[in-house]
Amino acid sequence: MITVLHVVNQFFAGLGGEEKAGLPVAVNDGAAGAARGLQLQLGDQATIACTISYGDNYFHEHKEQALQAILEAVQSRHAPLLVAGPAFNSGRYGLSCIEICRAVADALDISCVTAMHEENPAIGTYRDLGDARIYCLPTTETAAGMTDALQRMAHFILRLARGESIGPAQREGYIARGIRRLEKAERPGADRAIDMLLKKIAGEPFATEIPMEAWEPVSPAPPLTQLRDRKLAIVTTSGVVPWGNPDRFKTYRNTHWQKYNIAEVKELEPGKWEAVHGGYNVVYMNRNPHYGVPLDALRALEAEGVIGPGKLYPAYYVIPGNQGSPAVMRRVGQEIAADLKKDGVEGVLLVAT
Amino acid sequence: MSKELEKAGLPVAIVSAMYPVVEQVRANRIVKGVSIPHPCGDPSLPQDLDARLRREIVRTALRALESDVQGPTLFSPDVAVNR
Repeated sequence: MITVLHVVNQFFAGLGGEEKAGLPVAVNDGAAGAARGLQLQLGDQATIACTISYGDNYFHEHKEQALQAILEAVQSRHAPLLVAGPAFNSGRYGLSCIEICRAVADALDISCVTAMHEENPAIGTYRDLGDARIYCLPTTETAAGMTDALQRMAHFILRLARGESIGPAQREGYIARGIRRLEKAERPGADRAIDMLLKKIAGEPFATEIPMEAWEPVSPAPPLTQLRDRKLAIVTTSGVVPWGNPDRFKTYRNTHWQKYNIAEVKELEPGKWEAVHGGYNVVYMNRNPHYGVPLDALRALEAEGVIGPGKLYPAYYVIPGNQGSPAVMRRVGQEIAADLKKDGVEGVLLVAT
Repeated sequence: MSKELEKAGLPVAIVSAMYPVVEQVRANRIVKGVSIPHPCGDPSLPQDLDARLRREIVRTALRALESDVQGPTLFSPDVAVNR
């Protein structure tokens, strides 16, 4: 008999709504609340050993204690599998499900299954984690889809518990985590690509093997008026840094940015700067760093009065962008934005290689 | 990065030779760069023309910052950058 543990919030444990969101972690033997529904779907093939519940607010306000209590409960039951949710489109609940899965997978190295709507804000965290032990199944937006969600979760749990190998997200129906695995295909890539191309030309439907991530739009910041009076700064992912790479940037997967002084600098002389970047041939950039930091052009525009005197920020910002993960680059963007705003910068020229 | 800067209220003109990718990730003010290893200029040009090209690219970026856009918008420097 397979044993699983089910983690749910206070609402789906049947303890109450918003007024009970401060409840601490509680462990009840057997299946309670939504876990009863899951037990029904699992039938006699698996048993929910206990239901762990917590208040939505309690979790986020006492995260360390909450995770600790949940970890202890899971550890003491020696279950091979943890189930959390389904959280539908609830942001707080969704995020706690993902964080519990992460903590349990990290500490105990067991598989975790959760479920929620694909637009739940926690899906971003799930994708960023990209943890092969954590699976999130898609659900409807509201609990109206509870039975269907539990049914699919049960099916997935049983397959995992039996040690079946789980294929790619597209085929298996869980939400893609961006993990790529090597697999042997029956036909070489060139053949498959030409098939796809012919179908595309003929206007027939075809399925890409590498779907592109869908990116959320950001409302454009308002345009600058009276440009001459605006403070501008240069940011670049080209990896142009002072010669000798004093801050030891790597050629890929950097996690920190730097800013380098250009206050009294008229132009970037070759030999005083170099490009650290593993994603393109840096020969041209080393010969003329202005390809990544166009300081000569900016100084010329300053002399012409297009850019006001002293309006070019006296340092430029850099991180070599090669293989930067979206999560890291988001954080770097936020940090640079905070630094720029602190110094009153109003517009940015970003050169990306 | 560009999007986080915009979220903070800073307009960003992003110069990139991979502008289709930049459009896809939904940056808003996009300036067509020359090529991946040298977005701001072209080393095959004589030095003075290269500098002029770079000035035009930066000028286009400044124009982009002054432009009201509703979503990803491509700005092309006023020279033939595709060779």
